[in-house]
Amino acid sequence: MSEIGLTVNARKRVVNVDDDMPLVWILRDTLALTGTKFGCGVGVCGSCTVLENGKAVRSCQIPASEAKERAFVTIEGLSLDASHPCQRAWLEEDVAQCGFCQPGMILTACGLLRDHPNPTDEEINTVMSDSVCRCGTYPRMRKAIRRAAALLREQKR
Amino acid sequence: MIASRRAFLKTAVLGSASLVIGFDGSGLLYAVEAKPGTQFQPNNWVRIDLDGSVTLTIGKSEMGQGVRTSLAMILAEELEADWTRIKLAQASPSAVFDDLGTGGSDSMRDGWRTLRKAGAAAREMLATAAAARWKVDRASCAASNGAIVHLPTNRRFDYGALVTDAGKLPLPKEPSLKNAADFKIVGQRTPRIDGRDIVSGKALYGIDAKIPGMLHASLERPPFEGAKPKRMQEEKARAIRGVRTIAKTSRGIAVVGDTTWAAIKGRTALAVEWDDPPAGAFDSEAHEKLLEAASRERGFITRTEKPPPATGAVAKTIEATYHYPFYAHAPVETMNCVADVRGDRCTIWVGTQAPNKLQKQVAELLHTTPEKVEVNLTLIGGGFGRRLAVEYALEAAEISRVAKAPVQLLWSRPDDMKHGHFQAASVHHLAGGFDAQGAPISWRHTKAGSFHNISPLDPKEVHDAAWYQDWSWGTYDVPYAFPDIETAYVTVDLPVKHGPWRAVFAPSSVFAREAFIDEMAHVHGTDPLAFRLDLLRGADIVKAGTTTIDRRRLRRVLEVVRDKSSWGSPLPQGHGRGVACNAYFGHTYIAYVVDLGVDHDGKVRVERVVAAVDCGIVVNPIGVEQQIEGGIIWGISSALGGEITFRGGVAQQGTYADFAVARMRDTPAVEVHILPSDASEPFGMGEPPVPPIVPAITNAVFAATGKRIRRLPIRPEELKAV
Repeated sequence: MSEIGLTVNARKRVVNVDDDMPLVWILRDTLALTGTKFGCGVGVCGSCTVLENGKAVRSCQIPASEAKERAFVTIEGLSLDASHPCQRAWLEEDVAQCGFCQPGMILTACGLLRDHPNPTDEEINTVMSDSVCRCGTYPRMRKAIRRAAALLREQKR
Repeated sequence: MIASRRAFLKTAVLGSASLVIGFDGSGLLYAVEAKPGTQFQPNNWVRIDLDGSVTLTIGKSEMGQGVRTSLAMILAEELEADWTRIKLAQASPSAVFDDLGTGGSDSMRDGWRTLRKAGAAAREMLATAAAARWKVDRASCAASNGAIVHLPTNRRFDYGALVTDAGKLPLPKEPSLKNAADFKIVGQRTPRIDGRDIVSGKALYGIDAKIPGMLHASLERPPFEGAKPKRMQEEKARAIRGVRTIAKTSRGIAVVGDTTWAAIKGRTALAVEWDDPPAGAFDSEAHEKLLEAASRERGFITRTEKPPPATGAVAKTIEATYHYPFYAHAPVETMNCVADVRGDRCTIWVGTQAPNKLQKQVAELLHTTPEKVEVNLTLIGGGFGRRLAVEYALEAAEISRVAKAPVQLLWSRPDDMKHGHFQAASVHHLAGGFDAQGAPISWRHTKAGSFHNISPLDPKEVHDAAWYQDWSWGTYDVPYAFPDIETAYVTVDLPVKHGPWRAVFAPSSVFAREAFIDEMAHVHGTDPLAFRLDLLRGADIVKAGTTTIDRRRLRRVLEVVRDKSSWGSPLPQGHGRGVACNAYFGHTYIAYVVDLGVDHDGKVRVERVVAAVDCGIVVNPIGVEQQIEGGIIWGISSALGGEITFRGGVAQQGTYADFAVARMRDTPAVEVHILPSDASEPFGMGEPPVPPIVPAITNAVFAATGKRIRRLPIRPEELKAV
């Protein structure tokens, strides 16, 4: 139990939680940022994915003691108005069904596109296969990732 | 744009005059003028406010099928509403909304029948009000995009300006519905109304409900029925920071804490040790043997087609037995519920497919009446039939009562996987007969399976053929024209919880039927797709037990996948192509062609699926495509992923690692062809895409390897190159 300082969506936060409390519960219960979902608690479903320096990480696998002094971006912080290229692509390809896994999927895709701005099918498979969508939105997600990649490249020009 | 029920209530109470149209409990239209600040009608489908905004009430649960969007489309179409100004409200169970259940893929059909009338009546009343103001013939006025227009003079009134007048008009008994040719919204590719909320993390599911003073609970359940705790470490659990209460309930021992983490840690520290399972506790391997033996019994005959006298004698018979395992639903959002019990009242926030049943059962638990149980519905992070059971709400209510505080109960992933109500295992015995000339003439299919046990059977129900048919979709309704048909059902007791899963009873039966038809085609020496088409000749409309099948629609979907998939074109070594089809309840017709490869390790990779669907009138083509894609992925999970097995009464799987589901790498290219339909209504799409995909995959495996898959899921070691 200690005071832990961390940055979430560019805002400095101080929380008073158990050292072993996973980041997912700091986000959801302490900071009321419920866009980050809980799905399995053991890092095999990807629902709790957040970004750290653009890299996708699993918030259920980061205890408070390790989250200390680090900076994370949740789905709420990706853009103010759903305008991030991944969010736009997701809407344009009508990806979501129940939508529950989608914040994690979108942030996982952000991480993928940071490392692979023009991903091959194999790269999409490798990175996205660590996450579960039980509704089966994978075919549309694949299209949305390609569209988001194009949007991001456009943005950089 | 989705107003929460509370926000909606507030607007309704504070809002000024509004025209209200809805149905009473018996489905009759009624209209009232809502007076400023005084009236709120919870049984409204349509409400129009003075500012012209339209609030549509959704009476089905959104769990990814896009039902909020598609039902709103139906209402907005007949109402001629401005789609960009629509607000939605979610109906809560009440004396008026007494049938809010979502299941059986019937939302579109239900909605089409009731909501069009509600929208049309409102439109007619608004037009009458406008005509009276202008003192013109109503026939010269037309509704368009949220306004009534006087066509000769192009004058217009926005709906908001007509609310007060229209509310005073008598209700049209039979409002005239729009012609399909005039549809502007229905049939259009319409993005999800809640899409932006989803991609922004603002969409609210049950797990996201937060109310002031809410505690968090994790529940340790008996691993099998009747298990008693041998010992537990209560002191250790209480010593965990943030743990408030250890609540012993009739459904298990709950640790209640300030945060989810405190509850999880407390439960781990509590370390409940349960009784050892008794000898003879449920074991899925032993159960499978019982099912297999039962599949050879005569059973209850669900359908008989006696061969006409001219039919030749059976000269050759082939037989096969198909094994279908247990599966979990495994939605990504685990079961959860917020309950706040105060005296004889209870407020609930929950994702459920069965709001009225939930309300009634919570009321019974608390010895109170349903109207004292307020049920607020959230979005559902995956339903698939799992959330037709309501035990998680009963657990939450019981914990809240003991803890004397609002409580959120959250199931862990292993809780969800081990305490589901599973898709039941079944075994199918089939026999097909050919006459002396080799023509297929007889069909026998016996299903040995189990009735659902998540709610008790009604003892008053007559157990006739129709009743047994209801438990064996996909068996009795074989659409093929065999002159001699006999189907049967044998029930085998199943002591673990089992209940509806996506496509309910159909997946196992359609797997067996569509795989065995392929076996018959192979023996007959005919291409399996052509063999099916041959067997779909004869009468176009056939009665198969309680179901009516239109063989023309089934032939059409088969012909489309044949043509679009280049059926018959060569494939590389180690690859195969398979077909399967199904008429779901005689409503939605689907055929698939699957192309796949099997590698040296026996691993199957589905590469391409071509789908054709006739689901009647298409309300939202995006929704139809999504459901086909999702159904295919669901089928890939059950063909190539995990199964649930039981030892000592306990499910052995507890994570996505040991109950594998399809991932991005397992995803084929999917092509969906939506066929124009001559049906006069829309049919469901949530369940129908599931049943035919698995046999299309196993038939393709046969084409690739010569190995017939008669047991699911497919095991790579059986397909390994030797």
